[in-house]
Amino acid sequence: MMGMTEAHVRFLNVTKRLGATLAVDRVSLDVPEGSFTTLLGPSGCGKTTTLRMVAGFYHPDAGEIYVRDVPVTDIPAHRRNTAMVFQEYALFPHMTVAENVGYGLRMRRVESAQARRRIGGVLELVGLVGQESKFPHQLSGGQQQRVALARALVVEPEVLLLDEPLSNLDAKLRVRVRTEIRSLQQTLGKTTIYVTHDQEEALSISDRIAVMNQGRVVQVGTPQEIYYRPADRFVADFVGLANFAPVQVVAPGRVRLDEVILPVESAVKPGPALLVVRPETMSLAASFPTAPGLPALRGRVKTVAFLGGLARYWVEAVGKEWIVDHAAPGEQLLRGEVYLTLAPERMHVLYEREVTHDGEGQA
Amino acid sequence: MLGLFVLYPAFRVLVYPALQDYLEIPRSLRWMQAARNSLVMMVISTLTATLAGLIFAFAVTRPDVPGRRFFRSIAVLPIFAPPFMVAFAYILMFGRQGLITKTVLGLDANIFGWHGLWLVQTVAFFPLAMLIIVGVLEGINPSMEHAARNLGADEWAVVRTVSLALARPGIAGAALVVAISVLADFGNAVVIAGGFPLLATEAWFRMEGLADLKGAALVVAMLIVPTVCLFLLERYWVSRRVYTTVTGRGSRVERPPTHPVLKWGTFLFCCLMSVMIGLVYFGVVAGSLTAVWGRDWTVSLAHWRLAMDRIPTLLASVKIGAMAGVITGVVGVAVAFLTSRRLPLRQVLDFLAVLPGALPGVFVGVGFVLAFNRPPLELVGTPWILALALAFWHLPMGYQAAVATLKQVERSIEEAATNLGASGLRVLWDIYVPLLRRAFLGAFTVSFIRSVTNVSIVVFLVTPGNIVATFAILNMIGNGIWGGAAALTTMLLLITFASVGVAQAVVGRTLRSMPMG
Repeated sequence: MMGMTEAHVRFLNVTKRLGATLAVDRVSLDVPEGSFTTLLGPSGCGKTTTLRMVAGFYHPDAGEIYVRDVPVTDIPAHRRNTAMVFQEYALFPHMTVAENVGYGLRMRRVESAQARRRIGGVLELVGLVGQESKFPHQLSGGQQQRVALARALVVEPEVLLLDEPLSNLDAKLRVRVRTEIRSLQQTLGKTTIYVTHDQEEALSISDRIAVMNQGRVVQVGTPQEIYYRPADRFVADFVGLANFAPVQVVAPGRVRLDEVILPVESAVKPGPALLVVRPETMSLAASFPTAPGLPALRGRVKTVAFLGGLARYWVEAVGKEWIVDHAAPGEQLLRGEVYLTLAPERMHVLYEREVTHDGEGQA
Repeated sequence: MLGLFVLYPAFRVLVYPALQDYLEIPRSLRWMQAARNSLVMMVISTLTATLAGLIFAFAVTRPDVPGRRFFRSIAVLPIFAPPFMVAFAYILMFGRQGLITKTVLGLDANIFGWHGLWLVQTVAFFPLAMLIIVGVLEGINPSMEHAARNLGADEWAVVRTVSLALARPGIAGAALVVAISVLADFGNAVVIAGGFPLLATEAWFRMEGLADLKGAALVVAMLIVPTVCLFLLERYWVSRRVYTTVTGRGSRVERPPTHPVLKWGTFLFCCLMSVMIGLVYFGVVAGSLTAVWGRDWTVSLAHWRLAMDRIPTLLASVKIGAMAGVITGVVGVAVAFLTSRRLPLRQVLDFLAVLPGALPGVFVGVGFVLAFNRPPLELVGTPWILALALAFWHLPMGYQAAVATLKQVERSIEEAATNLGASGLRVLWDIYVPLLRRAFLGAFTVSFIRSVTNVSIVVFLVTPGNIVATFAILNMIGNGIWGGAAALTTMLLLITFASVGVAQAVVGRTLRSMPMG
């Protein structure tokens, strides 16, 4: 159990029922000090419920949550120092920006000169200087978002909680704000738990991702581990695009796909398995590639979508449809007969009924 | 038409007394006293009724207060009752012959006077405040409360700094609406105020006792000044300050738990108020079945036999109520339809349609007498004057109900119908008629119920040819025929509840969202 002492927030077998549904099912998770950890999953997977239990809005039915090795489940919400940024911001409409940001300080009876200083400091941090006396409804969505962030940061929380904070912003702003949040978090070194259903957002912003499904944590790992070595079909499917093909592992490092034998580094144990291939790890050529040792699959382009930076092909090969991304395609797109090459070190093999939680895959 | 039946009577009241008469007002000791009393009652009753409404509203909007659904439905009961009923029932319960004061506690209590009126108005008008404040409290996104908790606010601080602070404009609005109702309250005052002079009752005494039309006009003119001020304040100041939700879709999470002291404290308060409301109904029904109230508690049907003789007055009530309901419905829906279109005069039309809400019933009563007691339009003595006065007085409720219904029709729905090939007439028939039918039924029901139970207008406009039930009841109470009055009131209640039931069955849930105040 390495890393035990470094865990800032630790979930131990946490279970929560909401009505008839088992919202959170025996979740155990360590959030390292200073890390940006994301709970990622489809709606209804229990990620928000898990986050709200840290804030103290829900009491777990079983299990315990520790913050710095102190059990917190019986501490009421207002005595925890776990400031949260709400999905809909929940700014107080009857208070100005300064009053909103200062609310937590007022509740902590911080003396007013010091409170003013801290409010000023945090507003500068989020770039809202000069907006102090405006009311929330006079601000744009992006500015409201910053007020919510400032309001949470100013109390210097033990852990910062973010519940889908970008979902009310438009697409461009979302990308900008998420970069800002990430760099702010790195500057402050604040332990952060972030909830989102957007896998791209999770990959781009996190140190660690915990993928959740139906109340359970199905995989924990770095964004790269989650992406390249998904623990099961659900994770592979949910995070990014993936091609799946049933294969037979015939020998360590060798799988049989249809009639073709492919070298796959991660294949170890012989038997039936599922091959996971990311679209951008395959290469596409109009003629049979001359590179030695790598078998190529012959296929036919069904459709192609030109997306600017890449071209996405739907290719029929070995009785299956493959999605293949071709980076920097240029103005000439491929049509008709093509050859698919698969990179042995980039393919991933899933064995049936095997679910891992350590994020290390089978390697 | 709005001009004839809304503006003209008001105009007649204001110009009937000469300028000289207005200048005399400050010299009349009795009137100044009545004015002062009315203002004092307005302040104290508004304070207690709003406070009670606030506590009640808080309790029924917390998810963890037990019995909140029950409390909520019992609290709206007084809104359906005739406006003198609370006073009448409390005389039976707490008066000199009161079941509780005399028989149970053995006290010699006198409920007549300002303190009795204060109690009665608090119970009678707190539901009004509650309904408004409930709307405001329910509009507060639960996330707001969670955010406060998350930032370190305990249960008390959440209520103080978030829930109540956010509801403040709504509470002010509720207080203004209650103040208008208290000021205009005639039914309770005439029954329980005794020798305590008030503007609303003074107008009637002038007219009934002294046949002093000019005096009555002067008194109601005095009454109109604060009422219209309050009305304008409510409509154009407070309603703009109501905080609206800042950002879009909020997840429907539950509100955080309430502090146990708050939870059980408000629960007890709701129990107490529910008992007070229960006593209103219990008192009247028991009064109708008791041989001699206060002395002989044996069950008797004698009062019901007496009340049977007054069935014609009930029929007159229903007839006039139905007439008023139809007029309110037709006019309300028509005006709402017109103001929903982009017409040049829609602002004026809208104002005229809601203006009667600011006029006290006694003002409308006196106004109709003055306006229609002579040619060209002589209506005094016919049932029409009653029906028209009641219909136009209740127009704002019918109108607002219709506006609410019409708002459901988005422009895009109409466009969609046209886009799918419906002609203009078809759109009207397929989209508007079904909706307007509901609006009409809603307006009809509100107007009918309130017309059947009205006293403040009725007392000025009844003539021996068209005595209605409420007038008969008032007379019976005045003459000490409590049992008969109680029996007749019970019958009236049965009629109103039956019509509410029918309307609910027909229009379904739309009635719940209607402004019943």
